[in-house]
Amino acid sequence: MSGMAWLVIVVGIAAIGWVNWYFFIASRRSDWGKE
Amino acid sequence: MARQLSVIDDTVAPPPAPPAPSAPGERTIRIPVSGMTCAACQARVQRTLQRQPGVVDAGVNLMMHDATVRYAPDAVSPEQLVAAIRDTGYGAELPPEVEDAFAEQEARDGAQAEELAELKHKAIVSGTIGALAMFAPMTLMPFVPHGVINGVLLALTVFVMTWAGRHFYTRAWTAFRHHSADMNTLIAVGTGAAFVYSLIATVAPRFFLQRGVAPDVYYEAVIVIIALILTGNAFEARAKTATSAALRALAGLQPVSARVVRGDDEVDVPIADVRRGDVVAVRPGERLPTDGEVVDGESAVDESMLTGESAPVPKAAGARVIGGTINRTGALRYRATTLGADSVLAQIVRLMRDAQGSRAPIQNLADRISGVFVPVVVSIAIATFVIWFVAGDVAGVHAPAVRAFAAAVAVLIIACPCAMGLAVPTAVMVATGRGAEVGVLIKGGEALQRAGAVDTVVVDKTGTVTEGRPTVTDIVAAPQSTRTDDELLALVASLESSSEHPLADAIVRRARERGLTLARAERFLSATGLGVSATVSGHEVLAGNEALLAERGIDSSPLRYAEARLSGDAKTPVYVAIDGALAGLLAVADPIKSTSREAIAALRDQGIDVVMLTGDTERTAQAIARAAGIERVVAGVLPEGKVAEIERLQARGHVVAMVGDGVNDSAAIARSDVGIAIGTGTDIAAEAADVVLMRGDLRSVVHAIALSRRTMRTMKQNLFWAFVYNVVGIPVAAGVLYPAFGWLLSPVIASAAMAFSSVSVVTNSLRLRRARLS
Repeated sequence: MSGMAWLVIVVGIAAIGWVNWYFFIASRRSDWGKE
Repeated sequence: MARQLSVIDDTVAPPPAPPAPSAPGERTIRIPVSGMTCAACQARVQRTLQRQPGVVDAGVNLMMHDATVRYAPDAVSPEQLVAAIRDTGYGAELPPEVEDAFAEQEARDGAQAEELAELKHKAIVSGTIGALAMFAPMTLMPFVPHGVINGVLLALTVFVMTWAGRHFYTRAWTAFRHHSADMNTLIAVGTGAAFVYSLIATVAPRFFLQRGVAPDVYYEAVIVIIALILTGNAFEARAKTATSAALRALAGLQPVSARVVRGDDEVDVPIADVRRGDVVAVRPGERLPTDGEVVDGESAVDESMLTGESAPVPKAAGARVIGGTINRTGALRYRATTLGADSVLAQIVRLMRDAQGSRAPIQNLADRISGVFVPVVVSIAIATFVIWFVAGDVAGVHAPAVRAFAAAVAVLIIACPCAMGLAVPTAVMVATGRGAEVGVLIKGGEALQRAGAVDTVVVDKTGTVTEGRPTVTDIVAAPQSTRTDDELLALVASLESSSEHPLADAIVRRARERGLTLARAERFLSATGLGVSATVSGHEVLAGNEALLAERGIDSSPLRYAEARLSGDAKTPVYVAIDGALAGLLAVADPIKSTSREAIAALRDQGIDVVMLTGDTERTAQAIARAAGIERVVAGVLPEGKVAEIERLQARGHVVAMVGDGVNDSAAIARSDVGIAIGTGTDIAAEAADVVLMRGDLRSVVHAIALSRRTMRTMKQNLFWAFVYNVVGIPVAAGVLYPAFGWLLSPVIASAAMAFSSVSVVTNSLRLRRARLS
């Protein structure tokens, strides 16, 4: 497996993590902040 | 009105039931809200409102684009509520002072028509450009340099994205800023990624060439995806317009002017200038402009548009007429009673509007999935790209990014949360409209869902199974009596004219119908539960039951056989004695409605148990039940007893619908799972019932239950297909079939599938418009 493939895996996992953090965790935090 | 209907109504979500009516000291306000496109937006506005100090309850309706807020006016002002909504990033403004259901419907129709026209225009233009972008480059390739073709395609794509597809990106950005994601996010990310990839390939082809990858562009895919989604949205908007056709038809019944009698003249005045008490003149063929009470003339009025009753209803002096109905045969003059927002038609339009935007509990699962759908799909798309890239890399495929990229875009584009969001609300809209066409007003999605589950219908006797208006059916003279029937009736009616008992009313009415002259009753005495007595024209007249006669020492035995026969026929016998001797017997009965037997048979055919509750004696109740085809009867029950009987049935696991007149049976109606008020009251909105029947006919109950069952079936079909579509579509787009069959979905095909998935759901709901209910 090439170095590019490893890079794609790492970036992909990070992107999935960020999407879920932003839409599920950060959105709740922003709601709590308004309470 | 500045209410805005969004150009594309995306994941149509689940409006909550409107808040309960205001308690004393509280107020309710409906605030138009713009810019909401999905369930996430709705939930956000709702949460914000619910957190405001002084807000008792708040519900946000995405289909209607408004918020209904119950609040304490001393703790929070409407202006503060509007400001709170604006703080969340959505538009809001104070509602107009006077809420006019008809003007509101007109504004909504105008906005819908505008939305449809705009979508059509954009779909046609971008579709034409898409076709050119797909086929022209192949033709021009031998004559025009590659770079020029790509430059022209880039310009066309930018035009389509910024003109026709602009709202996808602006709304996706608004949602993103609020940490939410909707259908626009998927379209924006999918087409945006394809555009950026193509842009790099156009301006820096060497970047690809140096890595051994051909600098392919996807401009035509971006244009065609936008064109197809707009086409799907246009079809969807047209279909959604049809779902509210029934409501529009009702709102259109309101005439704009009325002919009012002023002195000796008849003057045409705008409907807004008609005042309560004005006498309105209507000629044959004209629509009645307001509700009222007939003061002069006789005619037949076509009320089918409100009650579903096809036969015109005869009207004469004293009869109640409803605005919006059509005068058929004769000229009428009537006194206007309820006007404007209080009129029956305005109440129906308001009730329908609220019902159409309400939610059904079956939607909860779809809501939960819609809420997390988009981020999950974006995650799947990223995973798809990674897996395809790595697999291609490991297998030594040339340029693995190209295929990985196409598969990821296809996943983003094919996923469709709107089909799930539309599955239930469109069925609720069409079903409530269909109900209104047949005179069945269902107050919302929850009532619709519960009515579909009913297995036991409890009916009140008087006014529900029977006409509710007792009449004298028999006059039997005693063997030794020499009086004629009319002489006997005149004496008893004279006596009863001082009584307020419903039986007395029937006897007096019958005497008047026969043109008899009534004398004055003197020394009138009423013995509760027994009967009445008085002196009429010098005779001591007594009318009552057997016990009253026994108390006065009068022998009733000569008529005992007749009494038993009449009782057995569900008639109430009234003994009459004159000057201390038995004179005869009158029988009073409340006849069964002609349609009751057929309706009860139809309910039993639907597998529903029918139970009749009545305060009457067991014998009369049994006779009525036999005639109506009802097997289970509970007689001698007081209003609280009706509630207890319903609770007893519910405790046995039955889902109970109570059918009653809405006034005397209001407690039982409120306690039942589905309260059905029968007959046409003027105050429809105030009824505690879940379903209001405009026609005093039990067959409407059959229609209500059949419609609810059919609607539940439609909702389940819609949800099933919406889920199946995504469950199958997303993996296929991701390429799970590629290893076995070599199948891979192109992003263009995926966009076509996505665009038409919601159209198919709306079309399935529209089938309810033609549902047979009997």
